[in-house]
Amino acid sequence: MSYAYKLRRTAPWLWLAPAIAIFIPFFIIPIAVVVRNSFNVDDPLALMVSDFTLINYRNVITDPYYYRVIFNSLWVSAAITLGTLLIGYPFAYFLVRRAKRSLIFPLWAIYTPLVVSIIVRAFGWIVITADSGLINAALLSVGLVHEPVKILFEVEGMMVAMVHRYLPLMVIPLVNALSRIDTQLYSASLNLGASDQRTFWKITVPLSLPGFVAGTQLVFAVVLSDFVIPSLLGSTRFRMLAPVVYEAAMIRVAWANAAALASVMLLIVVTMLVTSTLTYRRLAPWARGL
Amino acid sequence: MGLYVVGVTIFLLAPLVFPMIISFSSGSRIEFPPPGFSLQWYKAAWANELFLAGAVTSLIIAAITTAISIVAGTAAAIAINHYRFAGRSLVQVVLMLPLALPAIVKGLGVLFVLPSYHMSQGMAATVLSHCTMCIPYVAYLVLASLASYDITLEQASANLGASRSRTFFRITLPLIKPGIVAGGVFAFLMSFDNISLSLFTSNGDTLPLRLMQHIQHQEDPAVAAVSSVLVLVALVVMVMFGRVLRESQLGALKTSSPE
Repeated sequence: MSYAYKLRRTAPWLWLAPAIAIFIPFFIIPIAVVVRNSFNVDDPLALMVSDFTLINYRNVITDPYYYRVIFNSLWVSAAITLGTLLIGYPFAYFLVRRAKRSLIFPLWAIYTPLVVSIIVRAFGWIVITADSGLINAALLSVGLVHEPVKILFEVEGMMVAMVHRYLPLMVIPLVNALSRIDTQLYSASLNLGASDQRTFWKITVPLSLPGFVAGTQLVFAVVLSDFVIPSLLGSTRFRMLAPVVYEAAMIRVAWANAAALASVMLLIVVTMLVTSTLTYRRLAPWARGL
Repeated sequence: MGLYVVGVTIFLLAPLVFPMIISFSSGSRIEFPPPGFSLQWYKAAWANELFLAGAVTSLIIAAITTAISIVAGTAAAIAINHYRFAGRSLVQVVLMLPLALPAIVKGLGVLFVLPSYHMSQGMAATVLSHCTMCIPYVAYLVLASLASYDITLEQASANLGASRSRTFFRITLPLIKPGIVAGGVFAFLMSFDNISLSLFTSNGDTLPLRLMQHIQHQEDPAVAAVSSVLVLVALVVMVMFGRVLRESQLGALKTSSPE
């Protein structure tokens, strides 16, 4: 083998070396260790003991508390995905179809929350929804209610904050997909006698499918693993998965239990990503080139 | 329809605007309308050593994370763009994988492995775990700017007698600079704002963690003052880099990363 040939073969790995040096010890091994630890046993008197048992998974599945937590998280993820889609699709459609200078501002409004700290956004909802917050001050002063309405630390308040947090993640892929549609298709469809409505369902919706798939996958996965919003704005009677994982690991120091819960979360996210991608490719093979 | 867009825009901006109003309140708690104007909460926030020390810690972590991520992410993007090698598509998938998997699982994993690396929770562990999340962003954005990069320029440079390193610094680097800048800005923001990894890897002393603990115990208008400063910083970033970030398709990716 010539020197040049050897160099050619090793060169890409030399370029990759720094990334690999960080990824293997701080990403790949940690994920594997989480899965491995989920088969260990928590010792009530010490740290966990190495073992190979399914007892943690049995606890997670049979204990009504964990069962409830997983169900809550799945339900909220589905609801927020649907909510952001219903609010975000018309918004994205309008931004793209009526692209005028005056729409620069709404576009900024979509991007700005992404660069603002999540703590700031969560605190913003506290200011708005607290007992002495904006909404209650307005309702009380108008006389619509005599007692402050409970919004903060309730499931509904938490879900409004989640829709706010994740709306940009739904809108941006939709805007990207919608703006790639050739506008001549709309004129062609209308010229051939299709109504506005028919054009929307037969042209716009199918061609925006990549944005729809990306947005829904993204939002579902991030809501399922959201830690900050449930911790700061959520209800203590309606627990979500990520704060429960954190408590198991850091407060109860039940590492095997935490590892099993985290593995369940990982399994749900990976299953969702794989099945939705496969379904999408199967049902809409034509969309791959979009 | 116009009304709808205005409504959603207000919904998006309201939680950023109302803490600003509260931050100038002369009242002693969160209340509407504020009784009067004062800068007392800015003074209180500035005097809070936990906030100030947290901000310094977060700035240091974000700066080091950004520096490492720029080098590792740019190098990885060049490997993927310039070479065809066995395992290339696997490398591509693994490089982006941290953005698809829940950060809370990654953080828990790092907590588990730290003892076997003879490390404890702290700045080094936090920087390295943040890097696994920031390298994909830099690599993605640099790859995007490499897409329009003409590789024959490098051959031309070599034919004209330039060394490999001279070609890299005089040809390649200037041409992919927009991607590197966007990636760097993005890495910094993501690291500075991170919670889900820092929860497990730090000593609880970063600014977002300090603010979070503080909010959980009291509804303190001083947090509104800190919030307003952070919103202002974010706006400056948007004005300075908004175009770069938008053109580089930040949206497609910003958080392809679940917590």
